[in-house]
Amino acid sequence: MRTLAKETLIASGLYLAAFLVVFEVVTPLQSMFFPEFPSRASLLFLPHGIRVLTAWLLGWRAIPALLPGVFLVFLYVGGMDVFLPSRLAAIAIAVSVAPVVFMSLAMVGQDIRPQPGKAPCWPCVMGVGIVTSVLTALLTNMAFGSETVEYVAYLIGDIFGLFFLMLGLLYVFRHMRRRQT
Amino acid sequence: MCELSKLAELRKLMLSMERSLGLQDLTPVERDIYYAANELSENGNGVRTVGLIEHALLETVSRPTFFRALKSLVTKGYLSHCNSVNRGQYTVNGPRT
Repeated sequence: MRTLAKETLIASGLYLAAFLVVFEVVTPLQSMFFPEFPSRASLLFLPHGIRVLTAWLLGWRAIPALLPGVFLVFLYVGGMDVFLPSRLAAIAIAVSVAPVVFMSLAMVGQDIRPQPGKAPCWPCVMGVGIVTSVLTALLTNMAFGSETVEYVAYLIGDIFGLFFLMLGLLYVFRHMRRRQT
Repeated sequence: MCELSKLAELRKLMLSMERSLGLQDLTPVERDIYYAANELSENGNGVRTVGLIEHALLETVSRPTFFRALKSLVTKGYLSHCNSVNRGQYTVNGPRT
């Protein structure tokens, strides 16, 4: 129980931090450089990376771990509209799709989750990120009834978000490793 | 899986990405030794050479290649000799907090 609480604090905290970076830094820059882009969706959606990596590491426990963070993001964006059925559906989709994809793959014999004695496969994690993004975009846009352009924008934002989050982590780990030597 | 091992798994994932993108300075054997050392050091103690040699990732690696790669990892700062015990034990360097 204590572990789950700690995981929730870390995963939701990171999700909120990633969202704030997107909302306060990436989106204003996007509006500045691509003013003609019609969608409000971010083209570098870092929280998708948090969702995928959390699901990769925690499995089904990613669902409760991310739920408070995702809920707070929806509350921040939509205010009390967060309790509308479409928003609640979108929250459920956001937290559950990635763990379900990882677990479904494991059930059909393609378990890419971390295992002792097995080298991790980052392109596989990226692949799950893309599949998760497609499913999340389809389901979320169905819940919201969005325009087609939103599908593409979500997809681009999620894929770039996951890739650049992983790239950022790569350099953070490298920097910490070098500082210790 | 404990928190330390989750961090180790994340670090392993990033190392595999580094290698694929041509950004890292480890050979495949060095990387596998580092992966194995990460796993074996999860209880907080150092990792012994004999434990590394017997690890599933390193079963097919010849002794000379293994020891060359181990020495190289120490030189590059990924592993370091334990000061308190004999030379057959190493500590894994990297983000731990």
